[in-house]
Amino acid sequence: MTAGVIAPAGTSPEVPAGATPPPRRGWGRARETTANQLFLVPVALVFVVLLVVPLTQTFYWSFTDFTGYSAEVKFVGLSNYGKVLTDPSMLAGLGFTLAFTIGTAVLITMVAIPLAVVLNKKFFARNFVRSVFFFPAIPSIAILGLVWGYILSPLGSGVLNSLLDSLFSAGPYPFLSDATLARVSVIVVAVWGGAGWHAVLYLAYLQSIPADYYEVATIDGASARQQFFHITLPLLTPAIVISNFLLMTGGLKVYDLPFTLTKGGPGYATYTITQSIITSGVAQGRYGLASALAVLFTIAVGLVAVAQLWVSRRIERRVL
Amino acid sequence: MRKRRTLAALAALTLTLLPAACGGTPGSGGDDNKLTFFSWDGEETMKPVIAKFEEQNPGLKVEFSNAPPVAEYISTLQSRILAGTAADVFVIAAENKTNLINGKHVVDLRDKPFLKNVPEFNQATYSGPDGAVYGMSVASWGAGILYNKDLLAKAGATTVPQTWDEFLALCHKLKSAGVTPYLESVQAMSTPLAAFLGARNAADGGTMDTKIFDGSAKFKDYWVEPLTQWSRLWTEGLVTRGVVGLTGDQVRTEFATGKAAMMVAGPWDVPGVREAAPKLKIEMAPIPRIDGGTPYLAGAASPGYAINTKAKNPEAAEKFLTYLNAPEAMALYQKATGAITVTTDFEPKLDPALTPIVKDVRAGNVYLPQIAWKRAEDILNVEATAQLQLLVQGKATPEQVANALDTKLASTS
Amino acid sequence: MIALACVVGVPLYYIVVNTLKTQEEMARSPLGLPSQLFLDNYRQIFETVPLGRSFVNTLLVTVASILVMLFIGSTAAYAMAMRASRFNRFFGALLLLGFIVPGQSTLIPLYRMLVDVELVDTLRGLVIIYTGGAIFCYFLIQGYISRLPFEIIEAARIDGAGPFQIYWLIVLPLIRPILATVGVFQTMWIWNDFITPSVFLSSPEKSTLVLQVYRSVGEFSTDWPGFMTMSVLVLVPMVVFFVLTQRHIVDGLLAGSVKS
Repeated sequence: MTAGVIAPAGTSPEVPAGATPPPRRGWGRARETTANQLFLVPVALVFVVLLVVPLTQTFYWSFTDFTGYSAEVKFVGLSNYGKVLTDPSMLAGLGFTLAFTIGTAVLITMVAIPLAVVLNKKFFARNFVRSVFFFPAIPSIAILGLVWGYILSPLGSGVLNSLLDSLFSAGPYPFLSDATLARVSVIVVAVWGGAGWHAVLYLAYLQSIPADYYEVATIDGASARQQFFHITLPLLTPAIVISNFLLMTGGLKVYDLPFTLTKGGPGYATYTITQSIITSGVAQGRYGLASALAVLFTIAVGLVAVAQLWVSRRIERRVL
Repeated sequence: MRKRRTLAALAALTLTLLPAACGGTPGSGGDDNKLTFFSWDGEETMKPVIAKFEEQNPGLKVEFSNAPPVAEYISTLQSRILAGTAADVFVIAAENKTNLINGKHVVDLRDKPFLKNVPEFNQATYSGPDGAVYGMSVASWGAGILYNKDLLAKAGATTVPQTWDEFLALCHKLKSAGVTPYLESVQAMSTPLAAFLGARNAADGGTMDTKIFDGSAKFKDYWVEPLTQWSRLWTEGLVTRGVVGLTGDQVRTEFATGKAAMMVAGPWDVPGVREAAPKLKIEMAPIPRIDGGTPYLAGAASPGYAINTKAKNPEAAEKFLTYLNAPEAMALYQKATGAITVTTDFEPKLDPALTPIVKDVRAGNVYLPQIAWKRAEDILNVEATAQLQLLVQGKATPEQVANALDTKLASTS
Repeated sequence: MIALACVVGVPLYYIVVNTLKTQEEMARSPLGLPSQLFLDNYRQIFETVPLGRSFVNTLLVTVASILVMLFIGSTAAYAMAMRASRFNRFFGALLLLGFIVPGQSTLIPLYRMLVDVELVDTLRGLVIIYTGGAIFCYFLIQGYISRLPFEIIEAARIDGAGPFQIYWLIVLPLIRPILATVGVFQTMWIWNDFITPSVFLSSPEKSTLVLQVYRSVGEFSTDWPGFMTMSVLVLVPMVVFFVLTQRHIVDGLLAGSVKS
């Protein structure tokens, strides 16, 4: 830990470090450890019952011809995995899924952190503004699809196109019907929907930064910009890690937003991996195949997630 | 401190309230007075229908539940069948019929008296390879073109076109009069294309898809000409290529506000247009043919009612199906849904704008590729939609589209 | 900031303003203010849909699930922070599986499990399923706990406080902002969730609000103002809840308590 990076000289030694408190010596230690571990029992129960057991079932099904309708199944060995790995249409969704994941993760992080900093200040109508930014995440995806479809309509009567026409007499632009524009539009709508949510997460973590850091920095003559980059950002690292972990795992699994806006089109421009799991597996009653896909997908997302956490832990360690 | 005590009290309170609100567990088994029914029509639609049934059968209670179509309905029914908690009567749809029939989850209804008034076409849609009938479908739908008669009159057209060439000529005429001639959403199978193919299939005695799927013919042999004709809408500059980004709702709004003279439409679009534009003069007509024959419709039989093979109360289930297609229940159902019902002893009261298509729909002169296909319907449908979008954008030729379908089919065997 | 909020809010404005219009007016001018106050969309829903019943169901399920989830999530995060043994770190990493598994792949096994214990089609069963969200709570809370000043906990320990006392009296108050945040996130999820109740509940009298909305909208429905009106009605309690809770999120509690 290099305190100098975080705060100007003179910071108190009580900088939160996430370190384990020194173990207690003496008679109470074993008992205390037991008591402490008892706190993990509820979450372990949830983990086993709601996750491990169902996953084991799915794993088993991935080796069978399970249709999803009848529990009488035949063991088919690795043939489901063989089918998945040789089917080219499974790859159709890969490109956009990756672009979506990286695009939304980067953009939402870049928007949400400054947004949270601003929303943390006192200003007129703050509660109202906070609510407005937070609420895009709430209405059902069906309604959002309707509204955004109307805003981004390629016809001259679409909201955005009529606006562009009256301001710059430009357009109409085919926002959802040109491959590149459609990809960009889907990502922009996702950023619109997610930035406020993640800003609220950052907002909560901002509360854990002791106010005296800023007081000291102000006295030392640090500008707002310097304070942001040298205090706020480093101390938000855990939040950044968490937020991006959620964005990555969520992005790789994305399905309903692109589907509502474009149905995966034009062509396969906004087709996602989950959509292909659903159309070629679940919807066709080939549940064994879908299970195999889910297992492979879980492993792949798991690898990405572990890599991401590993990288961010390193960064975290360097920053703090 | 006080706050946390309130919180704890609140927790205790909710946890004690919960069991009270739950009541008994369902599926408690053979109850002669209870019939369970899982529908994909909403509560509002089915409530009056069920109320009448309960009134006619005192002592019998229908336990109704539903899920909206299509994906939610299918997956909910599926998990219930797997767990043995599915209702006595549920809905069989094109999307799940293969699984339900192959898994023997639905009862054979062949020769049951209540199928007498259901036309051959609707029975055939839900029949198995052995001729057994697994669903009682009481309605059909057909999609064609909805015309704005006022805008047509402005361009000097008094009758609707009968051939595709005439239709395209009309589009040219409307366009030069400054009107957007025609819109269709290309986010699913195209209606005109389906109608072209349906006409071709009918001319071949209904053998087109059998041949494609048994390998004696290819998509290429049947699809290239219809695709070429359909894509003239774009190659001749009549319709914006942006339609691949339009939903059906947006198309309907454009039409209802008088910004487009013609659109692809099904019976469900008519009430929406009426609500949004009560004064508009509209008429529906089948899709003009490319070979000059009688216009044809895209469409299919609606989902049917099926009886669970593990029904707890099979007698009541049959009683319920008998009731459902009798004229009295039909009238209630038709009034709530506006569907084109097909039972022979009941004449549906429909919007006059639908008159030109009703006879063909009730006779089953309709076609939809993804229903006529014999397997891998979803995969092919996704591929077809994606390819049609590329065709509209000028990024694929009709030959490439047809070849892509052949390749896809080959890869799924 | 307010100007930006207005731009971001346009879609929300679109939804609300169209609930006050007829279908005709919505088609004609979707973004304009309603020409007259048209309340029939609301009237019709209050007359036909049993909102009260499903509101109570949703409320019970949401409150119970949130309390259980926050308890499980915070105890887990607390235990991990207090004792970063190798086993605990490994277990913590394992828990992340909860985010990685696609939800669709556990739905059917979970349904069968609930059928076996006769909890399917009960609100209790639904709460059990939602308890899975505890892992999400754990993940968000543990990042926050790791930033707490441990001097306070050490001091309490020296004073003779046991692990549970430390958790309940010291840690919980300190992590109130993140508890509120996670609570808001999870409330929003459960309140709006459609797929879980749709699969696990079948009796109409046990419907949750969102389920009721979707079930009331028929096939091929084109009544968008009606649909949006129902959605707005579902959202109103959420808005109130968020406005009431958000001050807890930004209650710079820690900043003050460290010094004292």
